[in-house]
Amino acid sequence: MTAPPPTRAPVLESLPARTPGKAAPPRTSWWMRRQRTLAPYLFISPFYLLYGLFLLVPILVGLYLSCTEWAGLGTPKWVGLRNYQDLLADHSFWTAVGNTGLYVVFTMAVVMPAALLIAQALNARGLRGRDLFRLAYFMPVVISPIVITLVFGLFFDNEFGLLNAVGHAVFGFGGIDWLGSPGWARVTVVILVLWRWTGYLTIFFLAGLQNVPKELYEAADIDGAGPVSRFRNVTLPCLRPVTAFVAVTVLVSSVQIFEEPYLLTQGGPGESTLSVAQFIFRAGFQRQQLGYAAAAGVLLFVAVFALGQLAMRVLGVGRDDR
Amino acid sequence: MPDVSRRSLLRAAGVAGAGLLAAPALAACGTSSAAPLRSGRAQISLWTHDPDYIKTFRTAIEDVGLMRGSRFDFGLDITSSAPADIMTRMIAQAVADGNTPDLAGLNVDQFPRVMQSSIAENLFVDLTGTVRPLGDDLLKLSPYSVDGVPYGLESGNAITVLYYRQDLFDTYRVPEDLDTWEDFLEHGARLSTDHKVSVGMISTGDNGSIVNGFLQFLLQRGGGFFDAAGDLILDSPEALEVLEFMTRGVRSGALMALPDPYGSACAAALKSGRLAATAMPNWYNTAGLQANVPEQKGRWRIRTLPRFTGGGHIASTMGGTAFAVLKDKPNSEAALELLRRVYLSREGQILRYRFGGYLPTLASLYEDPELVATEDGYLGGQKAFGIYSAAAADLPLFYQAASMQILSDVLGGQILDALKGRTSPTAALKAGLKAYRQQVKR
Repeated sequence: MTAPPPTRAPVLESLPARTPGKAAPPRTSWWMRRQRTLAPYLFISPFYLLYGLFLLVPILVGLYLSCTEWAGLGTPKWVGLRNYQDLLADHSFWTAVGNTGLYVVFTMAVVMPAALLIAQALNARGLRGRDLFRLAYFMPVVISPIVITLVFGLFFDNEFGLLNAVGHAVFGFGGIDWLGSPGWARVTVVILVLWRWTGYLTIFFLAGLQNVPKELYEAADIDGAGPVSRFRNVTLPCLRPVTAFVAVTVLVSSVQIFEEPYLLTQGGPGESTLSVAQFIFRAGFQRQQLGYAAAAGVLLFVAVFALGQLAMRVLGVGRDDR
Repeated sequence: MPDVSRRSLLRAAGVAGAGLLAAPALAACGTSSAAPLRSGRAQISLWTHDPDYIKTFRTAIEDVGLMRGSRFDFGLDITSSAPADIMTRMIAQAVADGNTPDLAGLNVDQFPRVMQSSIAENLFVDLTGTVRPLGDDLLKLSPYSVDGVPYGLESGNAITVLYYRQDLFDTYRVPEDLDTWEDFLEHGARLSTDHKVSVGMISTGDNGSIVNGFLQFLLQRGGGFFDAAGDLILDSPEALEVLEFMTRGVRSGALMALPDPYGSACAAALKSGRLAATAMPNWYNTAGLQANVPEQKGRWRIRTLPRFTGGGHIASTMGGTAFAVLKDKPNSEAALELLRRVYLSREGQILRYRFGGYLPTLASLYEDPELVATEDGYLGGQKAFGIYSAAAADLPLFYQAASMQILSDVLGGQILDALKGRTSPTAALKAGLKAYRQQVKR
């Protein structure tokens, strides 16, 4: 229940008498005042409406579903926190968590530094064919996933794969079961991630490098700094905002990794490359366990949110150091 | 009148958003107000993943003989989508606004998704009355039945036979009429050692392919994953025997381990002549061999599968597509009639064979003179129906259950471990069953 508004004295009666020679303030009706108050909110309301409709409502529905057992049709059956309990005891879920952790660590520890080093190389003065290199590195992002699957499948095939054929011809070893061995399958997924995203991240670093003031490098040169020292003392500090942005976005997206293991190995062999996002997809759209999938989704959301917040604090995103 | 606070505005926006979301959901709960169509123009909404079904149904509705006496004048609205997406979208549409198709083609491995929580019962027309007049003449209803009620009509039986390169068998002196798998593997091991040629393939890619390969042999051996009641029967001597057979075959090189039986590596094996035989369903002729190695026309033949010494069948069956009619829709009656005419009549089944190569699902048609006389150009003019006829007469029954996907997920890795020699077949099956029981407890 809403309390009735407090009674106020009539506004016009409380005004002082008019002074001759002075223009009277324009009379505003209740509707005009109301419009003036509402107008800003009306202008910004589309955002909040869409935000509520497509973000808040799904999150709330997801939270509700995560406490139910539902196959898609019929009425969801309320089971409380049982889905979360089951998840914590589910070996497959922990396998997926472990694999996802591996992908995240690899992306942060290898893909990001590799992208930075490539960007540094591409930023070198007098580099010929720079656009060609940029194109080559960016290409993997725009190639159709279906093509990637076909090419990588054949490239890494145990019997007929190019990689094993080259390995055999050059080094004489019998070949690796890239897609059939749990350990090597993880490596293969990681190689695909490296191939696919390094070039994309390179673009961000390259943009950042081009904004580093040249005077700083000149000053470092005068001080007798070598290439490593210039990189450590000039480039890295200047790239800090870009690095922080890339790190947070990469972290958040790699926790949700789905496409690479799904396309290349379907999460196999067995469940050795299964990611959490794939686990959710499998539960929801292959097993019709929508409540269980929603519970895993909620946990993934919490993990992504917490990791994102942590990364932002550690990297100082949005903090003014001046 | 108080000013509107930011908080109250946001709250109002949230409520409005929830209302907008709830409206269609509530609308979907209501029953359809449209009256069922009894005659006249019936524009059937058809969802399928295979262009050959589109061609077949389009041809069928134009076929005067097939449509003679129908109360309906059929038209088709086609939606083409991936098999898994058809099922996902159909269920989502049923929840959202009821805008489901009238007729949907469901892949056999997607059907278990509707076997739980009465989804099939709520979505599809019960075909019991439709198939009853055909009695035992209609094959392969079991994978698409829930609690004994059929909800889908299989398109083509998907009979697994043995494809083999007659020229390579002649060259390497492998008898074409080897009776048992044991004899077959013996020759395969010799061919692998001497010529790097295999006489079969085993999928080692995704869980689905691995498990399907195993199930295909298990059904032939007389075993299965589930019985008619949906109870697990995998814990059997037949299952162990089959997995040991596969493991032995892979180790000796008689069976080639390939990630995907339809992928690029398999095409390479076929092209290079390293695969001289393979047990595959009838549609592999067009979708596998003719698509990948058209130049090998005339070299391939088919025969029934070698037997397991312990018993079983001379053929097997796996993947297929069944068509189901969505219930309580204006076009449900019309869609059922279309399906009945195309899928349960002699003319319809022959038309399906001609346009899509789908083998008849009526047992009596395997003796049909027109079909029996058909020669297959790719198979060197072989009269394939002689083989299919014997196979169809000894086809194993295949039952699914709602937890089929879980079993597939937990078993795939274990079977692969056994095939790769990382564990024993006994340990693999034991571990798979243990994981399955843990997961289905949910």
